[in-house]
Amino acid sequence: MKTLSWKIGGETLHSRLFIGSALYPSPAIMEQAIIASKAEVVTVSLRRQGTEQGAGEHFWEIIRSLGLKVLPNTAGCHTAKEAIAIAKMAREVFGTHWIKLEVIGDQYNLQPDPYETVEATKVLVKEGFEVFPYTTDDLVVAKKLVDAGCQILMPWGAPIGSGKGLINPYNLQAIRQAFPNIPLIIDAGIGKPSHAIAAMELGYDGILLNSAVALAQEPVMMAEAFAGAVEAGRLGYEAGAMQEREFASPSTPTVGVPFWHQNP
Amino acid sequence: MIQVTINGEPKQLQKNTTISEMLTQLDYQNEWLGVAINTTFISKTAHDQTIIKEGDHIDILSPIQGG
Repeated sequence: MKTLSWKIGGETLHSRLFIGSALYPSPAIMEQAIIASKAEVVTVSLRRQGTEQGAGEHFWEIIRSLGLKVLPNTAGCHTAKEAIAIAKMAREVFGTHWIKLEVIGDQYNLQPDPYETVEATKVLVKEGFEVFPYTTDDLVVAKKLVDAGCQILMPWGAPIGSGKGLINPYNLQAIRQAFPNIPLIIDAGIGKPSHAIAAMELGYDGILLNSAVALAQEPVMMAEAFAGAVEAGRLGYEAGAMQEREFASPSTPTVGVPFWHQNP
Repeated sequence: MIQVTINGEPKQLQKNTTISEMLTQLDYQNEWLGVAINTTFISKTAHDQTIIKEGDHIDILSPIQGG
């Protein structure tokens, strides 16, 4: 398939799929799935660690060996203060000014807290971060994030890990129309390749997912499926779909039809 | 001695211990570490000068899987 390069956060990428590194059945499957996804950006996180060499260190060795761009997240944070501290730690540890800003406001559906997210954005943008904000499909929150300095938006398709797809395509379309020049990534809620295609056909610039691949029966195969889906959805969007019609219209020429009027 | 919390666990440290000294004492050899005291990030360049105080909450974080 034709691969079209694009730019986000000062980087030129070829894949429009961002992939998470969590929840895989094993580190080996994680590695194979990331490779199969053709993603150039992988999300990572920071957690408290003991002094003994643990699974975290082995994980980080694998990710480094893949040579991909990392997008650290602030998962688990509930306040702007916590998210700012994690973002700064991530910048030092991972050597990137990219941060997936995630400030959770509700434990049940892991909905982001818009007030704390905007507050953290203001500080992080001033500190030179490229903020990838995890947000809902709320247009007004999206506007506030852009006003706060975000040059990228990451609305959810559905709550994290739900696999429900795009629960509010109308709102996602409104965000696309309101911000034609802001890269938009669907972050969270994608469950199947068809969900990713639907998002790309709305004109979204990319997809960030984790559970959909990691929790599939065959994660490596699913990663490959998503690589194709994201590319197909983008090409479909760029090609421009035909107008939907309320009536049937034959695609095969009607001139010269044999056995005319002989059909019952 | 001072009483502090390190990654949620109560610990005792000598008075005037710096972050660098604490990491050595606790045998943190991983170079991929981020440190925060009381939810404020402390950069590596400040580890030698930053003295840990009574009651400080210290977080020592390292890379892990994330979505």
